[in-house]
Amino acid sequence: MVAEKPPMALVLGLESSCDETAVALVDNDGNIIAHHLATQEILHRPYGGVVPEIAARAHVERLEPLIRKVLDESGKNLSDVDAIAATAGPGLIGGVMVGLVTGKALSLACNKPLIAINHLEGHALTPRLADQSLSFPYLLLLISGGHCQILLVKNVGEYRRLATTIDDAGGEAFDKTAKILGLGFPGGPAVEQEALKGDPTAVPLPRPLVRSKEPHFSFAGLKTAVLRAHQSGLYKREDIAASFQQAVIDCLVNRSEKALRKIESENTAINAFVIAGGMAANQAIRPALTALAEAHNLPFVTPAPWLCTDNGAMIAWAGIERFRLGMIDTLDSPARARWPLDPHAEKARGAGVKA
Amino acid sequence: MQLVIDTATAACSVALIKGDHIIACEKEIVGRGHAEKLLPMIAALPDQGRADKIIVDCGPGSFTGIRVGIAAALALGLGWDVPVSGYGALDVVAAAAFRRHFNASNLTVAFIGGHGEIFIQSFSCDRPSLHLTALTPIQSLRPEDAAPLVKDSLIAGSAAATLVKARGWGESEEAWPFADEARFLAKTATTLPATPIYGRLPDAKIPA
Repeated sequence: MVAEKPPMALVLGLESSCDETAVALVDNDGNIIAHHLATQEILHRPYGGVVPEIAARAHVERLEPLIRKVLDESGKNLSDVDAIAATAGPGLIGGVMVGLVTGKALSLACNKPLIAINHLEGHALTPRLADQSLSFPYLLLLISGGHCQILLVKNVGEYRRLATTIDDAGGEAFDKTAKILGLGFPGGPAVEQEALKGDPTAVPLPRPLVRSKEPHFSFAGLKTAVLRAHQSGLYKREDIAASFQQAVIDCLVNRSEKALRKIESENTAINAFVIAGGMAANQAIRPALTALAEAHNLPFVTPAPWLCTDNGAMIAWAGIERFRLGMIDTLDSPARARWPLDPHAEKARGAGVKA
Repeated sequence: MQLVIDTATAACSVALIKGDHIIACEKEIVGRGHAEKLLPMIAALPDQGRADKIIVDCGPGSFTGIRVGIAAALALGLGWDVPVSGYGALDVVAAAAFRRHFNASNLTVAFIGGHGEIFIQSFSCDRPSLHLTALTPIQSLRPEDAAPLVKDSLIAGSAAATLVKARGWGESEEAWPFADEARFLAKTATTLPATPIYGRLPDAKIPA
């Protein structure tokens, strides 16, 4: 029996939940027809971090021209689009509202279904855009500036959270380390570059929660240790950066391994070990996690770096996945600052609202 | 036919207007729920609000509301391929208030702003033409700092009572901008670029 190919679908994706305004057109074969991104890095850099109010102001000015640009470049009209997908959370609410309301208005004006996307689901499903053969279920390490979670991705809209951070997200730790070391904003790429020049064994830094019984992450203590190491004046900046990055990698590997063991102990068959989210763009992190996947006889899947950081294609693709299943939303869909992928996950000990 | 979107304050309203006539109007005081309420309100208008032109309240007022209204207006303009322009929140309240207060030739509009401040602007009205003139620029001030500057007896807007209380004299009328009142504005007052009028700079300060 030959599986029937699903009918062609074209989805417009809108992303505005943090400091990138992004738009893309993607079809159900995973072709990215056009995409554009207006980064706000230059607006936030003087402040050393993303300022929500400034982000909110910028999104409303940039989004509509960006949609026009994507449509012009693709040679498509809104009438060619099958659905409008927009990030509805979680994220900085001022930006989320701009993208979601824009999506709703396009949906109404063009009489196309609206799909309200969980930004984290965008990250979680993008590996299937990058690798069309990747099927459910898979284990996902989702690492970004706002999140650090290990999820069992069972299906579209079906997630089981195995671990989360009880304090800072991994990307947040990179940003804070960059600030301490005077490397500027955004911190991820800056620390990664600096680390290339340094010795990852030069500075003794802790690996919070590694080998502990609980499955979660913690990075706040590591950041404090970086501050102390820096203030001691004993270490070179590049050595602190390299040692910090190595400590993060060790935490990621150890926690991922614990989650893989748990899944194996439950006899849940998974098809791959996957990493996504902005921090997955870090080139030093990838080899360690590739080795971990190999040790567990699993394919290692991760999207191209530009698809790991926030972008419009991930939202359009999540839209394709939901549209194929008839999962569409109404014009009164709420914008949500918080929106866990697994609402039933146990609260992690000591974790704040972000978990 | 024009679609008017006004989400610049705690009020959320939409209207279809043609010249001086209101074809349809929906209004509600929503507080913070603009992102959820606005599109269903537009969808409930005749022909789902379809118009040849869209005008939107650009503020100042609610930081969030303004951006919700403008985002919706721009996207509808793109979807319908029709022009989008803006008007000022204080102008529309002034225009409507002068129509209720036949003897007033001057008034000040006062809106609740951010961080305990209020937005104020003084207007005059020529009669019988009802032509509106702004006498001062928009300012964002603490009520006690605004009080000595405001000479008009009549104050209209969401912070009218606050300002009259701080000043100790005058008449206050609580008022919000509503979409159907945009029909009172001169054409030149509804052709502003559809970009937010925040009325104040961002709070964030660049670290030393």
